[in-house]
Amino acid sequence: MAGDAGVIRFEAVSKRYQTPARGEVWALRHLDLLCPAEQLTCVLGPSGCGKTTLLRLAAGLEPPTAGRIGVDGQTVTGPQPGVGLVSQEGALLPWRRVIDDVALGLEISGVSRAERRARGRQAIARVHLPPTVERSLPHELSGGMRQRVALARALCPGPRILLMDEPFASVDEPTRHHLQNELLQVWQTDGQTILFVTHNVEEAVYLADRLIVMTFGRTVADLPVPLPRPRDRLAPAFVDTLLAVRRTFTKHALAGPAAD
Amino acid sequence: MNGKRLIVRVLLGAVVPLAILVVWHLASAGSVVVPSIGAVLDVLLHPLREPPALDATSLASGALISVLRVVCGFGLAALTAVPIGIGVGRSDTVRRLLAPTMAAAMVISPIAWIPVAIIAFGLSSPATAIYGDEAWRYGLLDQVRFAIVAVIWLGAFFPIALNAAAGARGVRDIYIEAARVLGASRRQVLSKIILPGAAPAIVTGLRVGGGIAWRVIIAAEIFPGTRGGLGYMIATAHEQASYEYAFASIIVIGAIGLALDGALRLAARRVSRWQPKER
Repeated sequence: MAGDAGVIRFEAVSKRYQTPARGEVWALRHLDLLCPAEQLTCVLGPSGCGKTTLLRLAAGLEPPTAGRIGVDGQTVTGPQPGVGLVSQEGALLPWRRVIDDVALGLEISGVSRAERRARGRQAIARVHLPPTVERSLPHELSGGMRQRVALARALCPGPRILLMDEPFASVDEPTRHHLQNELLQVWQTDGQTILFVTHNVEEAVYLADRLIVMTFGRTVADLPVPLPRPRDRLAPAFVDTLLAVRRTFTKHALAGPAAD
Repeated sequence: MNGKRLIVRVLLGAVVPLAILVVWHLASAGSVVVPSIGAVLDVLLHPLREPPALDATSLASGALISVLRVVCGFGLAALTAVPIGIGVGRSDTVRRLLAPTMAAAMVISPIAWIPVAIIAFGLSSPATAIYGDEAWRYGLLDQVRFAIVAVIWLGAFFPIALNAAAGARGVRDIYIEAARVLGASRRQVLSKIILPGAAPAIVTGLRVGGGIAWRVIIAAEIFPGTRGGLGYMIATAHEQASYEYAFASIIVIGAIGLALDGALRLAARRVSRWQPKER
């Protein structure tokens, strides 16, 4: 996969789970997907369509049942350096203070305490959190602050690839808009490849360079979003794109699974 | 807390101990079984005095022997139960292997094992293992009888292991995955995620195990064939009708138990600081 630096590539990837209640379940079916380097690709799909599985496979947390996944030029066989993950719940460690949690990746890599502190503080500042939160525990923070900390933790080791699993789904709308803008700021400065999963059409249209619609474990539409940045949610072009994507999304989401 | 509330709190806490002292004082008047408060106080204030009528060492020496036995048995239990408990909590294979045996063994009172332990280990101790016939020269080491340590280990092991298992099982997979994505090895996942996440439950297990260990030691020392320790002093004092030594031993047992629990409670508070208070 030479020349695939910063690229996320799924080639005919399938993932099957064995569940006690439903037996054999295919979360992904022969899925092909390409996230070009330094682009922000959104995967849009209804709940249960396999979006989270897609990210878990890209993060190397689980192996695919079939097919091949390449991330940053490497075939994924497990978690690999240079990849950050932000989950819907944030997964902040309840016993760690913010500064220690943000610098967890550096601690794991054996970075000195002084450097961890310095880089942790930088990451906290980048997501617009006040320095006073660094001694806080996660349960002392609001939902929006927790998601900012989760983003700071993923950013702190300086990843080239960022995998984001509905990271702003559990916060209120104004906070979500702030967080989206902060993410865009970070991305425009650092130029990571971002694979962002969401079921929110407006969020996908606001953030994405490219938008992939997914249902029943397959990609069903690949739509470029040629809107200039910064995007205005009330601009006619934005609203037109939003409606077009929503029509496509609804059509595919309501249709049944395609036969193999 | 304001001054008035503090005084009320202290007074409330003192009601029951004062009532016990009054009942004790009344019961001891003219009794040959219940010693006077003064006689017991005299024993407590002279902890190094060898009891003249008893075949036992001083109160301080008895307490030291009991504490030493508990430290060995409880320490061994903590060292073995925490890793096994974490294994049971995190691995289906280890759970299937050990859980049925643990469930059956934990309902057996550790005191029931005393005769078995005495048959298995006899009077052997670290001193007999190292110095053989000369073991008696190493008094304190010779008092750490393997049989007693084994019984304390059995008593403390199960609460520690079961709590460690519950704590480890309660650590959410998303925390482990967050660390794995950041490059954590299995050892780092254990040290940075599972152990701190399970720490409050582990310390709760240590508190329960410590309490059981301290109760078991007294029972084990009262058991015939054992020498030395506070339990032995109670048994001997009873046989020789020197009840002031029995009462003084009971008070020391309570005080040491309270100190042990206090230390473990402090540790519990320290490792549980991150847990939000339930209201």
